[in-house]
Amino acid sequence: MAIFVNMMLGRHFLKILISYGLWFLLSCSLSSCTETDIACLKNIKASLEDPFSYLKSSWDFNNNTEGYICRFTGVDCWHPDENKVLNLRLSDMGLKGRFPVGIQNCTSITGVDLSSNDLVGPIPDNISAIIPFVTSLDLSSNNFSGGIPKALANCSYLNILKLDHNRLSGQIPPELGLLARIKAFSVANNLLTGPVPSFLNASFSREDYANNPGLCGGVMDACPGSSKSPHTGVIAGAAIGGVTVAALIVGIGMFFYYRKMSKIKKKKDDDPEGNKWAKSLKGIKGIKASYTNPSVFAHFI
Amino acid sequence: MERKVGVWLIFLLHPLWLALGNTEGNALHSLRSNLIDPNNVLQSWDPTLVNPCTWFHVTCNNDNSVIRVDLGNAALSGQLVPQLGLLKNLQYLELYSNNISGPIPGDLGNLTSLVSLDLYLNSFTGPIPESLGKLSKLRFLRLNNNSLTGRIPMPLTNISSLQVLDLSNNRLSGVVPDNGSFSMFTPISFANNLDLCGPVTGHPCPGSPPFSPPPPFVPPTPISLPGRTRVQRNL
Repeated sequence: MAIFVNMMLGRHFLKILISYGLWFLLSCSLSSCTETDIACLKNIKASLEDPFSYLKSSWDFNNNTEGYICRFTGVDCWHPDENKVLNLRLSDMGLKGRFPVGIQNCTSITGVDLSSNDLVGPIPDNISAIIPFVTSLDLSSNNFSGGIPKALANCSYLNILKLDHNRLSGQIPPELGLLARIKAFSVANNLLTGPVPSFLNASFSREDYANNPGLCGGVMDACPGSSKSPHTGVIAGAAIGGVTVAALIVGIGMFFYYRKMSKIKKKKDDDPEGNKWAKSLKGIKGIKASYTNPSVFAHFI
Repeated sequence: MERKVGVWLIFLLHPLWLALGNTEGNALHSLRSNLIDPNNVLQSWDPTLVNPCTWFHVTCNNDNSVIRVDLGNAALSGQLVPQLGLLKNLQYLELYSNNISGPIPGDLGNLTSLVSLDLYLNSFTGPIPESLGKLSKLRFLRLNNNSLTGRIPMPLTNISSLQVLDLSNNRLSGVVPDNGSFSMFTPISFANNLDLCGPVTGHPCPGSPPFSPPPPFVPPTPISLPGRTRVQRNL
């Protein structure tokens, strides 16, 4: 009897399972298999605390018309009649909780704005697997802690990366400098230390790094331990070299001068009246002249 | 006598004046003539009216100039007409999810107020016109799921207002730009095409490094004598 009941239940359960599976497949094909995007948003809603009911009021998963998630607050779709999320803008909604990893099911998402909320915990280490095509990521003004994941460097389509006003610590991964498309970058107001990255195609200002306890290098003050700054080192070296060269020149100059002076002195000693020979020649000329002058002869007769 | 002639003239010219009256109405009517409309969605498109602003699926501004044409999901087929380029205040051209074929008219490049060009999920063929680069206010350019061929025009990278670009599921080829406004676009925008190349796609363009080394030289197989079976060598 029990076995018979079990078999009936089993068959029933199997039927339910099969029909559910079929329904799932059918709805998947009808909506061009964006069941994932619906799952993504359901997951995000479930994982976040929503004290002001921004999501509760607008994110209603019961109305299943085509592209219905595109009308949800904060959701931008690729096409208005297709459930494929382009951007998620949930800024300033008082949301609490950790980074919603359910977002990885929004496989075509490019813009993520979770700024100005009360989110805590780390930014996931595998962020590039979660949102590989992200072009604009704004996590600013939250309570995110821990390090900036190195994997952000693999989000190669990033144009805008805002992480300011959080409690991120450790160093900024230097690999972030490899982000070729980055146009805006900010880590101000965090707990970061160490050298700032040097970016391939961009450079950022002190404001973008301000209010961190120990960021150094690049536009910031030089990092401790390394030469005070490569520039002052060069200047000091040049100054020392210059002084040395000048001293050498002066020394050599003085040497030659003294040598010259001593040579001249020696010459004077050899010929104290100087040019005596020339003068004697002039004297003979004078005497010659007096011999040829007739008036002189007249005097003598 | 002259007054009588004047009155008669007015009667004669009246219908003519009406017919000439509205360029935009005429342009849209040319479109209607070129489309096949099994569901009669264009039934209200009456060219004898003074302007098209009362037609269904047409929206005008306060100056009775057309700003929107909304014909998405209307089971339309046939082709577009170049006269669409005369709708100088048009902001939204929504023709998606139909069965419209033929080329995208280059005259659409004259629609300098255009904010949204949605031709996706149709049967358009031919190239993406370079003139679309003139649409300096364009925010949405969705041409996906058609049979468009040729290259992605470089002038599109100059449209700084472009927010959403979808060229996926076509038969495009050539290099995908990643400069200007295209720096915001990812492989999603270019998926499922014929032969696109460049850093975004992961396939380097021919002639640019890195390219694969030439295949190793293999001497040709010797001519076999008759009566003997020849071992086929794969070159």
